[in-house]
Amino acid sequence: MMHGLHFGRRLRNGALGAIPFAVVAVAWLLLPHVVQYPPYMMPSPAQIWLRMNELLADGTLQHNLLTSMLRLLGGFVIGVGLALAAGIPIALNRNAADTFKPMLTFLQSIAGIAWVPLAIIWFGIGNGAVVFVIANTIFFSLLNNAVVGIQQIPNVLHRAVRSHGAIGRDVLFSLILPGALVQVTLGMRTAMAYGWRALVAGEMVGGTNGLGYMIIEAVQFFHTDTIVLGMLIVGILWLLMDRLLFHTLETLTVVRWGMLKRE
Amino acid sequence: MKASRGRILKGIAGIAALLLAWQVSVPLVGLEPYLYPSPLRVWAAFVDLMQKGILPVYLVDSLGRYAAGTACGVVLGVGLGILIGIDATASRILGPFISFMFAIVEVAWIPIFVIWWGYGLKTILMVIAYVSFFPVLYNTIVGMRTVPAAMVNAARSLGAGRLEVLTEVMIPAALPNIITGFRVGSGFAFRGMIFAEIIAAKTGVGYLIFEGATNQQTDRTMVGMFVIGLTWLFIDHVYVKPVEQVTIERWRTVTRADERE
Repeated sequence: MMHGLHFGRRLRNGALGAIPFAVVAVAWLLLPHVVQYPPYMMPSPAQIWLRMNELLADGTLQHNLLTSMLRLLGGFVIGVGLALAAGIPIALNRNAADTFKPMLTFLQSIAGIAWVPLAIIWFGIGNGAVVFVIANTIFFSLLNNAVVGIQQIPNVLHRAVRSHGAIGRDVLFSLILPGALVQVTLGMRTAMAYGWRALVAGEMVGGTNGLGYMIIEAVQFFHTDTIVLGMLIVGILWLLMDRLLFHTLETLTVVRWGMLKRE
Repeated sequence: MKASRGRILKGIAGIAALLLAWQVSVPLVGLEPYLYPSPLRVWAAFVDLMQKGILPVYLVDSLGRYAAGTACGVVLGVGLGILIGIDATASRILGPFISFMFAIVEVAWIPIFVIWWGYGLKTILMVIAYVSFFPVLYNTIVGMRTVPAAMVNAARSLGAGRLEVLTEVMIPAALPNIITGFRVGSGFAFRGMIFAEIIAAKTGVGYLIFEGATNQQTDRTMVGMFVIGLTWLFIDHVYVKPVEQVTIERWRTVTRADERE
């Protein structure tokens, strides 16, 4: 009974939430009949649908999507790995922290996107530049989380692990890395929000394919249908990643451990 | 006091060591200056850009765009957020749509803005306003919706009217969330501006780093990156953090800036 009620409410909220989308869709369909504008300024939903089928049929869309997602994954793995690797000495050694923190704070404030031109000089246009910018963005976004995570491990746990005979590698793998990962998980959604922008921006300026490149290339030919299609994909993919992947990851880890409370 | 001086000295030593290692490594690596310019070369480029008056103009342009864009975004976001947040049904109806619009990141809007308004100020301002608008709007609504009912009821039973409940209870209670939105938005907006200037500007620090890279004047690109880093530190400390500080002192709580939900 309670369950049914809950489900009913969710259904109602879902229906309510769909209203603005429906309104915008109808307005979009009616717009050309109300205002005069050149068709390239704003394509109709039907045109976008046609373009999507075209791009799917010749495989361009799948190819670009796959390329982008692989770049994101690559940059993400490198960024998280480096943040953990650099976080450990900074968190455990006060001298290292005092020496490196001001430098890192400064590098952190150079926004990820600002590395795009330099990345193109260093790696040329293509995978290298884009993955570098994503990894750079993720690294600087998560480094603080890794440091704080390790520093928050209670001393009593250190002693407990050691008194059970753990040394070196054991301490690293069963205490320090898990401790760092808790905070890193907390910071992941923010880091990915920046990483996602870095991907799209990096591909627009420094790519030869991928979602961002597909959108910016269409500007030259005034293919607005491709542009809007790309924007919709950017939005939908981000929501899928953020809500399904990272939200679930949070629920399974930090929320369950009581380190993050949701309203 | 002594300990903190030691820390500052170590921090300076760290930066100095990095610069020194960079300078020393240049002849050892032996790459072309456009691939790997030395710090001294970058400094020379900085002096050159200052003497020619290019950098000051670009910086003023960028800061002006940033201030104008975020002001529009924040004012609209708070205003609409309060209007929508008053009504539970309105926020339920609009919530998913707002999330979706924010998910279409500002970077992806730049191409269509360029089609609509061309390369220039309007496109850049819209990008900045867009990306500062949505986090503020979203967090304002969340803040308004999560005001404890007991507080509203208490004010009502003391004879407060609807307007008073809004200005005396709901908006102050929502302020920590509004500030969170403001911080998130100002961070995204700064990065969004850099990219908008790369694509659509003929001045500004974003244009500087891209133009430098196109002309193989990597020293200029690096000057631009340093300026971007320092500018963000400046904005964060002079403009964003004080706002947060004032609210912390006044209402004691501010939710963490990187929590969007």
